[in-house]
Amino acid sequence: MELYDIIFYLFAAITIGSAIVVVNSKNIVHAAFSLLLTFFGVSGIYVLLGADFIAVVQIMVYVGGILILLLFGVMLTNRITNVDIRSGSIQVIPAIIGLAIFTAILFWTMTSTNWKSEKFELPTTTAFQIGDILLSEYVLIFELLGILLLIALIGAASIARRDKE
Amino acid sequence: MLENLFKDLSLIYPEIIVSVTLLLVVLFDLIYDKNKTIIPYLGLIGLFAALFYSLGSVDIETHAFIIGDTGNKFGLLSLDPFGNYFRIIILITSILIIFFTKSSSEIHSISERSGEFYTLLLGMVLGMMFMVSASDLIMIYISVEILSLSSYVLTGFTKLRDRDSEASLKYLIYGSASSGIMLFGMSLIYGLIGSTNIYEINEVLQTTSINSIIYSFALILIFAGIGFKISAAPFHFWTPDVYEGAPISITAFLSVASKAAGFALLIRFVKVTFLADNIEGNWILLQGFDWQNFLIIISVLTMTLGNFAALWQDNLKRMLAYSSIAHAGYMLLGIAVLTDQGLLAVMIYFLVYLLMNIGAFYIVMIIANNIGSENINDYNKLGSAAPFLGVSLTIFLISLTGLPPTAGFISKLYIFIALLDVKMIAVAVIAVLNSVVSLYYYIRVLKHMFINETDKTVPEIKVSLNDVVFILILLVPTLILGVYFSPIVDFAQAFLSILVN
Repeated sequence: MELYDIIFYLFAAITIGSAIVVVNSKNIVHAAFSLLLTFFGVSGIYVLLGADFIAVVQIMVYVGGILILLLFGVMLTNRITNVDIRSGSIQVIPAIIGLAIFTAILFWTMTSTNWKSEKFELPTTTAFQIGDILLSEYVLIFELLGILLLIALIGAASIARRDKE
Repeated sequence: MLENLFKDLSLIYPEIIVSVTLLLVVLFDLIYDKNKTIIPYLGLIGLFAALFYSLGSVDIETHAFIIGDTGNKFGLLSLDPFGNYFRIIILITSILIIFFTKSSSEIHSISERSGEFYTLLLGMVLGMMFMVSASDLIMIYISVEILSLSSYVLTGFTKLRDRDSEASLKYLIYGSASSGIMLFGMSLIYGLIGSTNIYEINEVLQTTSINSIIYSFALILIFAGIGFKISAAPFHFWTPDVYEGAPISITAFLSVASKAAGFALLIRFVKVTFLADNIEGNWILLQGFDWQNFLIIISVLTMTLGNFAALWQDNLKRMLAYSSIAHAGYMLLGIAVLTDQGLLAVMIYFLVYLLMNIGAFYIVMIIANNIGSENINDYNKLGSAAPFLGVSLTIFLISLTGLPPTAGFISKLYIFIALLDVKMIAVAVIAVLNSVVSLYYYIRVLKHMFINETDKTVPEIKVSLNDVVFILILLVPTLILGVYFSPIVDFAQAFLSILVN
């Protein structure tokens, strides 16, 4: 096992472990803070893959933006500690069996497959290339993502608004 | 580079028109704060213009938005008559749905929010229009997401009852899980092949052999995402709840247009990615994954589940939801035969399904406007109170069953012809038996409307002139095409070709 693998498993463990806490925690503040570690772990994996731009965006947008807003929302809400969050588990045994089969298939296929790979020099930075192709070859995707975000914004505003009685 | 871009943009005028209309609706909503009556008409103008352009670009058959160096010939979109046909179906459905919403009392109750409503509706249309011509996994994913996000919100848009929000939340959770599963499948395919373009994937598959287990695994994951959109079993479980909870106009839209887009995507994906050879209209697919048997199993499961679950439904929206699951099963058979004849059958089926399904939902909507219920027991004796509605609903339901002399018979007939062409007698028999089962629950509505006695006074049903015109627009073709069906067959035949390697 090389150093690279060790770092990968470290980040993977952080991501999964904190994600489990997010789901299982009865305290919403604990859950929100664990989400921070999840995002951090994911961005660590991005760095390992050489995707520096996405890693920075992950930190800036998710940790710096979304999570802070989430924490504000949680802390500004009245009586947050009294909210009864249900986090029980039902059908544990079937879920474990299903998960075990799924994991086994995944593990077996991942290790036995010839993944397509090419020798490639890791670029020192990816931000330039991403910007370049997003506004040239993939410009249609870029514009569509703009519309997608507009729709998400309008949809979110529409859900959140209080109806007149 | 830039010249190519302008050339490509000129190929997708309908999509551009819909996007611009969407933005205009947002602007008008902000500027004219008080008066919202203009917004639906604005949407209609945009959709009619897009339809006009689509009908005018029949013979376009090319790749657009080409990725990579100059030698590359495949791009994000492939524009061909097949995609154009489904684009036309989607645009016609959207235009009908806008008229539909204008007479729905549910939508009138939220008229001050109609700007958002029509923005999201146009968002759905835009997503579907890109779905039918997407030829790159990234493009497929993004167009599916545009469609999904808009439909999640529209499902719970009215917030009149608890079940609306419940439906919306269920749709959101199941939908995001299934699109996540689809994305995982796509990433596996990318890892195996090294390309996201379905034409390039086809080229690689033709020459190299792939570990078939992980390959099948990835394809099943991708099918989970598409199957969710077309509500094929076992990915159908969201359909009844969402169709029941959504406003009726959105239910009708989801059951026709969203399904059409999903089918177009599935057909293009299967035919382009896995086609090895096309011998006189029979598609020979590449080894490795048995699409034929997979689709047959899914479709038999889908139609049987849909039809049998519909037997016990008392809510008409829920019943029509299960019936739409069953219809997805019949249409999947048209793909499973893997011939051009089957493709033609699916295309005819959609045109007919559009007429009869929107018609049935429209009448359910008028009755719900008046009596405030979709329960079958409240339909007692309504047939004599409103004879026009009663007779029209009878014709639409008979057409949905697939009995002559309605257009529904022709569409089923073509599916059966396609099945018999490839000697799938057993499957055809199962499909016929399923139709017999479906007869029971369609006729049950008629029994309530015309025969059952009721101790309550039969409420008066007001039918406006607009309603009569709208119903006749759907009803007359349903009857005429049942007898004189060569126009739709010729029409569909003209759009049959899919761009392949």
